[in-house]
Amino acid sequence: MSGLARGSSARGLLAALLLLVPGVAWAQFTLRSEVDAHKVGVRDQVQLTLTVAGSGAPDEIPLPPLVNLEVVAGPFQSTQVSIVNGRMSQSRSLSYVLQPRAAGKAEVGVVRAGDQSAPAIAIEVVAGSMRSREPQRQDPFGRDPFGDPLEEFFGRRRGRAEAPRLLMEAQPSRTLLHVGEPLVLTYWLYTQTSVGDLQFKEAPQYSGFWVEDLERDKSPPSGEPASVDGQSYRRFPVLKKLLFPTKAGTLTIPATPFRIGLARTGFFDAGGTVERATKPVTITVEPLPDAPGFSGAVGRFRATASLDRDAVPLGEAATLRFRVDGTGNLKWVERGPEVSLAGAKVFPPQAKSDLRTTASGIAGSRTWEFVVVPETSGAIEIPPLAFSYFDPVAAKIVSAETAPLALRALGGTVAAGVQAAPLSSAAARATGSLPLRSDLDPSTSGALGRRRLAALVGLVLLLHAGLWGAGMLRGNAGSAAGRSASSRSVRAALRDLERAGREAMSKEQAASLVEKALDEAFGGIADADESERARAVRALLDDVRFVRYAPQLGDYSDKVRDLAARAAEAVRRWA
Amino acid sequence: MSARRAFAVLLLFASPVAAGPAEDRFREANDLVRTGDYPRAIAIYGELARSGSESATLYWNWAQAATARGAHGESLWALLRARELDPGDRAVVRDVERLREALNLDPAEIAPEPLAVAGRFSRRHRLDLVALGLLALSLIAHGAARIRSGPRSSAGIASTALVLGLAAAAIPLLASFARPTATVVRRGAPLFDAASPSADATGTLREGEVVPVLDASGEWLHVEDNAGARGWAHTADVRRLDAPPAQPSQD
Repeated sequence: MSGLARGSSARGLLAALLLLVPGVAWAQFTLRSEVDAHKVGVRDQVQLTLTVAGSGAPDEIPLPPLVNLEVVAGPFQSTQVSIVNGRMSQSRSLSYVLQPRAAGKAEVGVVRAGDQSAPAIAIEVVAGSMRSREPQRQDPFGRDPFGDPLEEFFGRRRGRAEAPRLLMEAQPSRTLLHVGEPLVLTYWLYTQTSVGDLQFKEAPQYSGFWVEDLERDKSPPSGEPASVDGQSYRRFPVLKKLLFPTKAGTLTIPATPFRIGLARTGFFDAGGTVERATKPVTITVEPLPDAPGFSGAVGRFRATASLDRDAVPLGEAATLRFRVDGTGNLKWVERGPEVSLAGAKVFPPQAKSDLRTTASGIAGSRTWEFVVVPETSGAIEIPPLAFSYFDPVAAKIVSAETAPLALRALGGTVAAGVQAAPLSSAAARATGSLPLRSDLDPSTSGALGRRRLAALVGLVLLLHAGLWGAGMLRGNAGSAAGRSASSRSVRAALRDLERAGREAMSKEQAASLVEKALDEAFGGIADADESERARAVRALLDDVRFVRYAPQLGDYSDKVRDLAARAAEAVRRWA
Repeated sequence: MSARRAFAVLLLFASPVAAGPAEDRFREANDLVRTGDYPRAIAIYGELARSGSESATLYWNWAQAATARGAHGESLWALLRARELDPGDRAVVRDVERLREALNLDPAEIAPEPLAVAGRFSRRHRLDLVALGLLALSLIAHGAARIRSGPRSSAGIASTALVLGLAAAAIPLLASFARPTATVVRRGAPLFDAASPSADATGTLREGEVVPVLDASGEWLHVEDNAGARGWAHTADVRRLDAPPAQPSQD
């Protein structure tokens, strides 16, 4: 009892202290760290949002440590002030766009601001891309639908004397709906002047909604007349978003600021830029009823089931397709129906989607394909398959059922119209004997790997080069000491010399032939070479030149024969 | 010296002992096939393949068991793997062709990599060893030609052997640049946008189709089908042809 009294007095004292020290009492804020996806592809980007709500928050929120992530854009700052029941609350958000570096684990570390902290967030990065890719657009509205086509050529200027009459409005298609129901949020531009450019100043926030972009019209919007506060404007739909609330309650789409570039209206008009923001939009979202087997789908749907064949040989597979068509939030319905068949094995399904985004929701179909392998012969009944969804028009959960189907498993024989088992073993299987091989042969030795083979080829080429180089070196050394001619060269030289001594030809022709034969047999003789061989060859060459250039004053045939004979002897002796 | 001899004796006795369990398991799997228990038989074949006892025979029997249970994609994969290991096995080549026709696949759909054909040709004729023999001959002949007393025809032999050896080596070397391939073993195997089962499915693959493997990430392969669509497929649906199956059979 006394303990309780002590506790109560201590709490009272703490409360009094808090009241007396307003700075402490009001320095209450919360810190949140959120990412828009916990599993992304390595080519995707993640948006990290750090939000402080309440008062007393520090001006700066440091970027938390990032593992396997890097910042590619940001921070983008936004501030939101709201007054609910006369109480004002304020929040500030910093957004970063993060890019994974590699597949694996990634993490946004613990965020600390003041005495508050937000826990680390683990992100799984897989190869590829988890998100549908769109071309990056710097301008969320693409090309200016209103501006002057020569504007880009002349550039945009700033500064204008009068504040132009421009408004931005975010208009929801409805403000009361259920979780999972779509609404179209249209951003309107009201203008009395020519606009050259339009961009988000800060990224729009759709907390509590799943957002899909709606395709814009290919043709530029023509606009329509509108009146606001007695002023006449022309308004243009500049952007449409399809929003699906993901939770019940009152959801607010905060004001979205835009930066609007004004078109030049004359030669001396510099154009300019103004900022306008939409008003916050409040949406009331009602919860979905809970029911066993509810798929989570919201909209209007139709379910069908089909088999790709009516009969299969025992052991072969048939494909059961369960298809849901309609309009709603089908994109987020992951779970197909549970299929369990007596006498057949049913493999987990693969889901395929054929969906498109329309103003009334996501339309199209989603198909779950089950592979069914009969385990016993006979008829296998596939019971009606149910798909429960919430019909927002009827405001209740509706169950769509498919018609029952039958599959015949034909034991041992091949059914008419069913593809025969392809292997040559099919016949053998029917008789119970398969062409099995009985002995396990030793593991096949692999071929030489690419690197090993390339290394060996390279080694052989190197050895060839080495041999060739060594031969060259030896050849050079040989020529320095007196080159040895090949037998082919010697034979050719001797043939030439024989012709020079035997055939009738001019002394110039004969001398040329002898000189050629000597060169073929001995090559170049170095001047420094004083060997007997070199001296003999030099003497022969001197005689050759004498015969060649001597004046034609007599018969040189004897001289030529003698020269050829001496040269042949030298060749035989030294070549 | 005595220790070395003892080690050699140990090796002689150890070899049959080590080979025994694999042979026994293989026979056990064959018996299971004969009794119709194909899933367990395939599980044992897979276990043997992963333990290093891969051979054309193993995959041949695996293909028979897969066919018997109606898994034609898996059967084609096993036969193609057998052909990779023993390109000269004519029975395997024949059944690959039969199965391809039965699955209504175009020849190009099971041979997306022309260089892989060169690789099989090279392995079948052991062109790597032929190349090494010719290159060794060229070296010997070149060496002889450089010796003055050697026969004068050595240079010609060396040149010819070198050119032939390089040509023979070029085929396996070029073939080694072929992209790895994989076979779709499951009908309607989905192709995902990312290596995750929760990613968007961008299409389906044809059972038995052979697809080039562009990348791998864990249990996922980045493949390109014959229509040029690229995406990620799970290794349970698409099995590589350049390696034994990494995961046990899904049964």
